[in-house]
Amino acid sequence: MTPFELAEPLTVADALRFLDPDDSTVRPLGGGTALMLMMKAGVFRPTRLVSLRRIASLSRITALPDGGLVIGALTPLSDVEHSTEVARRAGVIVRTMRRLSNVRVRNVATIGGCLAHGDPHMDLPPVLMALDASIAVAGRTGKRTLKVENLFAGYYETVLKRDEIITELHIPAQGGRRAAYLKCTTGSADDWPALGVAVSFEAEGSAISAPRVVVSAATEKATRLNGAEAVLSGATIDDALLARAGDAAADEAETISDVRGSAPYKRELLRVYVRRAVRQAFEAERPLSSPPPLAREGREGAQGGAH
Amino acid sequence: MPSATMNPTPSPPALAAEGRVATGPQVGRSLPRLEAREKVTGRAEYTHNLRLPGMLYGKVVRSTIAHGRIRSIDASAAKAVPGVYQVVAGEDVIKVIPHPYYGPAFHDQPILAIGKVHYVGEPIAVVLAEDPHVAETAATLVVAEYEELPAVYDELEAAQNRVLVHDELKPAGTFADLKHLKGVRGTNIALDYQLRKGDVEKAFAEAAHVFEHEFRTQKVLHLAFEPFVSIADYKGDRLTLYTASQGPSFVRIEIARLLGWPENRVRVKVPFLGGGYGGKLYIKLEALVTALSMIAKRPVKVSLPMEEVFYTITRHPMTFRIKSGVDEHGRITARRCEVFWNGGAYADIGPRVAQKSGFTASGPYDIENVSIDSYALYTNQPPAGALRGFGVPQLVWAYESHTDMMARALRIDPLEFRRRNITREGGRHATGTPLEDAAVEKVLEHVAARMNWSKPFDRGTGAVRRGRGLAIAIKAVISPTTSVAIVNVNADGSTTLYCGTVDMGQGSDTAMAQIVGEILNIPAESVNVVPRDTDVTPYDMGTLGSRSLFHMGHAVKRAAEEARDKIASLARELGLPKGSNYSVADLFQKKYGMQAGNIVGAGVYKPDYVPPQPGTGLTPNVTPFWMVSGVGAEVEVDTETGHVRVTRLLNVCDIGRPINPKICESQISGAATMQLGFTMFEKMHFDGGQVTNASLADYKIPGFHDLPAAFENETVEAYQSNGPFGGKGVGEVATFCVSPAIGNAIDDAVGVRLTELPLNPEAVLRALRAKENRPLEDA
Amino acid sequence: MTALRTISFTLNGKQVSAQIAPHHSLLEVVRNDFSLYGARESCGQGLCGCCTLIVDGRAVSGCLYLAAFADGAAVETIESLDRDNVLDPVQEAFIEEGAFQCGFCTPGFVLMVKQLLDEHPDPDDDRIRDYLSGNLCRCGAYPEILRAVKSAARKRRASKAA
Repeated sequence: MTPFELAEPLTVADALRFLDPDDSTVRPLGGGTALMLMMKAGVFRPTRLVSLRRIASLSRITALPDGGLVIGALTPLSDVEHSTEVARRAGVIVRTMRRLSNVRVRNVATIGGCLAHGDPHMDLPPVLMALDASIAVAGRTGKRTLKVENLFAGYYETVLKRDEIITELHIPAQGGRRAAYLKCTTGSADDWPALGVAVSFEAEGSAISAPRVVVSAATEKATRLNGAEAVLSGATIDDALLARAGDAAADEAETISDVRGSAPYKRELLRVYVRRAVRQAFEAERPLSSPPPLAREGREGAQGGAH
Repeated sequence: MPSATMNPTPSPPALAAEGRVATGPQVGRSLPRLEAREKVTGRAEYTHNLRLPGMLYGKVVRSTIAHGRIRSIDASAAKAVPGVYQVVAGEDVIKVIPHPYYGPAFHDQPILAIGKVHYVGEPIAVVLAEDPHVAETAATLVVAEYEELPAVYDELEAAQNRVLVHDELKPAGTFADLKHLKGVRGTNIALDYQLRKGDVEKAFAEAAHVFEHEFRTQKVLHLAFEPFVSIADYKGDRLTLYTASQGPSFVRIEIARLLGWPENRVRVKVPFLGGGYGGKLYIKLEALVTALSMIAKRPVKVSLPMEEVFYTITRHPMTFRIKSGVDEHGRITARRCEVFWNGGAYADIGPRVAQKSGFTASGPYDIENVSIDSYALYTNQPPAGALRGFGVPQLVWAYESHTDMMARALRIDPLEFRRRNITREGGRHATGTPLEDAAVEKVLEHVAARMNWSKPFDRGTGAVRRGRGLAIAIKAVISPTTSVAIVNVNADGSTTLYCGTVDMGQGSDTAMAQIVGEILNIPAESVNVVPRDTDVTPYDMGTLGSRSLFHMGHAVKRAAEEARDKIASLARELGLPKGSNYSVADLFQKKYGMQAGNIVGAGVYKPDYVPPQPGTGLTPNVTPFWMVSGVGAEVEVDTETGHVRVTRLLNVCDIGRPINPKICESQISGAATMQLGFTMFEKMHFDGGQVTNASLADYKIPGFHDLPAAFENETVEAYQSNGPFGGKGVGEVATFCVSPAIGNAIDDAVGVRLTELPLNPEAVLRALRAKENRPLEDA
Repeated sequence: MTALRTISFTLNGKQVSAQIAPHHSLLEVVRNDFSLYGARESCGQGLCGCCTLIVDGRAVSGCLYLAAFADGAAVETIESLDRDNVLDPVQEAFIEEGAFQCGFCTPGFVLMVKQLLDEHPDPDDDRIRDYLSGNLCRCGAYPEILRAVKSAARKRRASKAA
């Protein structure tokens, strides 16, 4: 790593003062695990890093009376993983954590960092998009809130300005919504995903409503799949519906080729994994009084992978 | 893990009488590694940890093109960085080492590129600084300009000799079968090995069935967790190297040759290795740090980050064209093998891989007519060398896939087809060398029995289909090679062993101590195994190719026997009756009147060998021992995604009599795990000669979740008659059959045949779709 | 050149301080300033676990952890485990089961297993595999490590019961 200056402000306001809207070599730093990789590889050579770690107010998890959650942006992933409130209100997050990167990274990486990095391979962004989460962003000119689904602008790109900081994450009350995240790796079992699929929806008996379907890793940024959502919305779940949803997802997503698979292969994976993710969400979080589960199909991967 | 023949660990004997008298046999004990405590406490010594006073760190600058002439290297900006001591390029090296080309087979590899570069990643300069971060920063500022030349990456294209990697071949002169290549121009072929037995063309013409297939393997690498690291300390008329090397004796000889020095002025010290697997053989960074230390006149350390390991040494990709004739009884009558080894830009040990493994390309089968051509080829890729199996795992992937394909086409059970064709004990290998103490049949039958091969098998339902496969293979040990050992009995009776075998995790120190203990009747734990230091430890050809336990084991045994005999003659000289109770210490006391003196035993071992006849490759003695293994695999294939889950992997090996059963078992499971990675997903991806996944983030190796649910590692009852205590090498044997057994199981599950590694999900899904006539379309 | 700064922390129970630059990793500091070599840089990406350190009770990848972050923290390395020359039960179990070959990744595994057992005293196979999925062993000692974890868990439970 090449030398840089490190600022460690104690308040958000101070942190903002250390940032520079015109200098791409000045960046905020959360846990640093992702940024350190870029720095070690020499693809990012900062002149100044602004560590947010000493801003105590940014690492709390708050359970809201309405059933929602507010998670400070500097909260380490492992705190989220071990939070009983998160488990109760958004269990899919805790299930995702078990195979997200590894214990050491989860101990250090922060919830805000994994959003601000803009890496499409991260596991949490698609899950948070499926949960309709939003973030609070602080800038020199004030605060704004932003839906996570509107955060990503492209491959490792977000809409955040250089002098903005994510301060907290808001997850709305999920009520009876069901959710699942499936991660598909094509190298070793623990790898960055070739594909991530997150889904959430409401289910009344076998009828699905308000579905949210998100693809990640296989596309240049985590993306909602409106076509698949339209197929699912208001429909009754059965094998044919799931197949149609998978087909719709495969038709609309723009998958990209890399060492983890070709674009057409990832499209086929998406077709299968959307089907499996909806099925898993439907079955895994099925209320006691609901209809019997559908016939078992291919091996489901609640696969994990590198963060 | 169940184990057929391995004994449970006996509790270690108490160190009786200050550790000087054994309480039982030492050979056959599952003794924990001698250095176990140092390793679990983090205190084991590795070159990685070493720092010398005044030491500089070198950061390597590498070629960004695959083939071209160097027009200029501009280091002015790098030199201007505060803290940079010096920037060194090829022209600086020539001033201290006039002919700076090295290699075990060819003297083709420059210490730093001179005139031309031959692959992306080739070292062209080094920045020296006291602070490694400064060296790293400055290295990014070195600018090289090139005149690009056409490059060749594929081994079959290289064999056409249209694009030439080197202008002229430069054999080292060490190997007789390479001497004829001296000065040869216009070729990429660094060795063309031939074996000819019988008349294959006539046999093909007469065969009831003829099968011809082509198989390929990908480029993979060792990825030892201690990346390449060497330190040189040049002191005018002496040089000390501290290096993570599997072959300190070779390093000393080759560095002395480069310097024009006698061997005794070069000292090579090797502590424990953080993994080797064949990667840390011959010269890697040793010549570079030597030149740097001579230029800087200070100690210099070069420690590669993991990404640069990808540009240092890899395993050989290979294309294997195999053709077999089979008679109406399902007996193979003829086989022609054409093997093309992609050796990359420098030969390293590639020509030996082409020959020493090439001659086993027809497999453990008794075939009357055999023809083998094995070509070592230069290409503009990072160099390839030895990797746990020396080419054999690639060969077996091909010939054992071929075996199953023939069996399926002939509607003969794959086990039965093998039974009809294997070479049985006492039969002859294609070279004409007898297959003695090679449990081919026993291993095959063991696999069959443990797999319940004759019983019905659950084929799965829905999207998930199940299948099973097996494979069997042999390998010869590289021969002839030499090992020397010294056993020193001190005046108090304590014992020290000097041997050059490098303990890189395989447990050689422990096994050698057990051999000493067995002969001298002392606990193995009490033997001090001296860390490798060429000023102290005698010659050994190298820790490679599963040779150490056999060759060094013999040398150690002979050294211990000589010491034992000298102790006995001392006792006689002192007039002590046979069987008297005098301890060894008492003998010294009696002889010298005080605690003084030594008894030194030395042992040398070099096996018998008959060189193969030129042109035919035939010889009655090509190897002192054979390695034999078989694998049974069960898989589940997800037909919608192509994911293959290996649910069971049964590894069965003939390892002779294990000196340390527990360590042998871990060698088997470790080798199989490594090969599982090479089979399922490991692959270096290239774009125009550039590796695109040169990091552990993008080049994945097996982790905990990749282990098969049922992972069984077993040995058959065996005894290597000419081995030390019936033992033989075990480091590579479990790598051979993993790939074809899994490939055969996939075919069994879903009826598709993959002929190229790795067997990753996309490859499987593409094959499935092609079979269904709805191929995955590339956008 | 960037200015050096002084950080203070406890290292294996002792109060220490070090002069560091912002770009120094905690791994570099424990190795170069305190000659503690049990943690090693291998993959350099937090994936292999060779550089595992414990900071304020939590395992981190020392190669990705800025030394500046350790200011005021409690840092522990593998060398803390046998300070009184007595091995930790995890270390004993690793020796007994032969749960390593070259030993380069071993200190990281030992520290992670200790963390695992602190959190889950009686882990099943899935738990062990999940928890240790961020530690790689190129020698492939996984079966032996699995056995060592279970053996260490038994040892710890037995010593607690006693």
